[in-house]
Amino acid sequence: MMKILVVDDERDVCDFVSNFFGLRGFQVFCALNGEDALQISKTQDPLIVLQDIRMPGIDGVETLRRMKEARPNNRVIMVTCVEDIERVEDAKKYGADGYITKPLVLNDLVKAVNDAVTKLKPNVTKE
Amino acid sequence: MVENIDNSKELHTWEILHGHLVNHMQERPHFMPSGRLKSRKKIDYRQVIENASRSMIRFKKPERLIKMIVRVITEQVGVNHAGVLLYRDNKRSYVLIDSKGDIGHKIPIGYIRIPQVNPLVSIFSEKKSFLFDERGVLTADNLKIVLKDKELLKKHQELKEKINQIRKEMELLNANICIPAYFKRKLLGILILGPKTSGKKFDSEELGFFVTLANDAAMAITNAQLIENLQDKVKEVAMLYEREHRLFIHTSIALAAAIDARDPYTSGHTERVTHYSLCIADELNEKKEINNFEKFKEDLHIAALLHDIGKIGIRDNILNKRRLLTRSEQQIIMKHPAIGAAILQPIRELGDIIWAVKHHQEKHDGSGYPAGLKGDEIHLMARIISVADTFDAMTTDRPYRKKKKAIAAVKEIEKQAGKQFDPEIAEAFLRAYKKGVVI
Repeated sequence: MMKILVVDDERDVCDFVSNFFGLRGFQVFCALNGEDALQISKTQDPLIVLQDIRMPGIDGVETLRRMKEARPNNRVIMVTCVEDIERVEDAKKYGADGYITKPLVLNDLVKAVNDAVTKLKPNVTKE
Repeated sequence: MVENIDNSKELHTWEILHGHLVNHMQERPHFMPSGRLKSRKKIDYRQVIENASRSMIRFKKPERLIKMIVRVITEQVGVNHAGVLLYRDNKRSYVLIDSKGDIGHKIPIGYIRIPQVNPLVSIFSEKKSFLFDERGVLTADNLKIVLKDKELLKKHQELKEKINQIRKEMELLNANICIPAYFKRKLLGILILGPKTSGKKFDSEELGFFVTLANDAAMAITNAQLIENLQDKVKEVAMLYEREHRLFIHTSIALAAAIDARDPYTSGHTERVTHYSLCIADELNEKKEINNFEKFKEDLHIAALLHDIGKIGIRDNILNKRRLLTRSEQQIIMKHPAIGAAILQPIRELGDIIWAVKHHQEKHDGSGYPAGLKGDEIHLMARIISVADTFDAMTTDRPYRKKKKAIAAVKEIEKQAGKQFDPEIAEAFLRAYKKGVVI
């Protein structure tokens, strides 16, 4: 089962996205902050990460940087707002694999995740 | 008129919500598992409806009505989630503005949108009736039925593909039911409902109820937008007026500066006369002659700025002469109020301001110029400027004489009350001077 990690400080979002991808055959992990996200990334090694860019504490970009540093092959999709242009630039620098802007189109969310899955290295996806 | 429509519509929603839910509770005792809970729920629901309807009376906040609709549907009809998407021009999409539901099923508010170019939106915009039920509602069940209708699908080749696209969209939203809200054929929003928590199908009465709610919400939204647009228009007009007024003032200030620049001895004269005039006006705000005090002050402000504009027409050698003027030179200088009025004549919008400019050298006893008017024959603004003008003339140096001390000038004004000056205006000036606002 493909593991996906959802990082968002809003519990509603975590709950909804977990259920959404759970129904679509993923094993979903949730983190409400950057620290938890890094911890789950370490212990569970989810190959796909859906990362909210705006978070209190360690923000989305910093979480991305540390995650990519430890596991460069994992795919991180940033969930952004229209006003986040500067942070998006930073995220690009640290190797974010995709972007999706809130309010998002659910079909785009599915596509972004599917694209990320297909871009995983073949030997990794086979496990 | 809008208000009337609002109220009737609001009552409509209230009645339907009320009637429907009471029926619901009576018909379906399983809604309330225990007697205690039953009575508590009933009170809660009444309170919700009452509070909401009270706030809805004015119909200024359609969001509240929408919140109430979503809440009532999820809690009382029992669906695992419900949400309302409204069209937002800046996103060119229908954005989820309210939702409720079970954990994991509730779509977070503001998290999703449906773009304008989407099978779900286009089907509602097209109003293809055979995909909807008789009320215009899109249900997953109905789509399934249409898919089984081989004959219909044969007739409309593209239909199967379209239905599958719509089903996919509804699946993403986990929506069993989509109810459109229109205003004049324009799709304003969509109410989406997940499956019922009881596992049962929605009945016809419920669907009718949802359609009524959606229509009322559409009406509320449209009214609120109309009111908002109207308020924007009012603001816009006020802003335009404000801008025009500022332009007028600034143009007057620029002209006044042009006059002052020609005569270094009277430099700053216009600015000071304007200040003194407005100080006097502030003492007169109870005066019967003034209908609209704000407007009066605005006019006086401009009149004072322009009172010496006629000096533009006086030759430099007379205007700047450092010795006493001869009689004929004095007569030329005395033309400046009339010249000023003639310059300003074409500007119709100035109205009474022109009279103030023309007669600011008149005297209360009729010994002034250019017309020798007396007392009330002289425009009020001219009477005010006359006092202000004289006070400044006395308290500034002239080529041919030294300035008076302010206190001496004030005494002179007092002495001339009823002679050179309207006594009421002179008195107002004295009051302002004593308050310390003049200098």
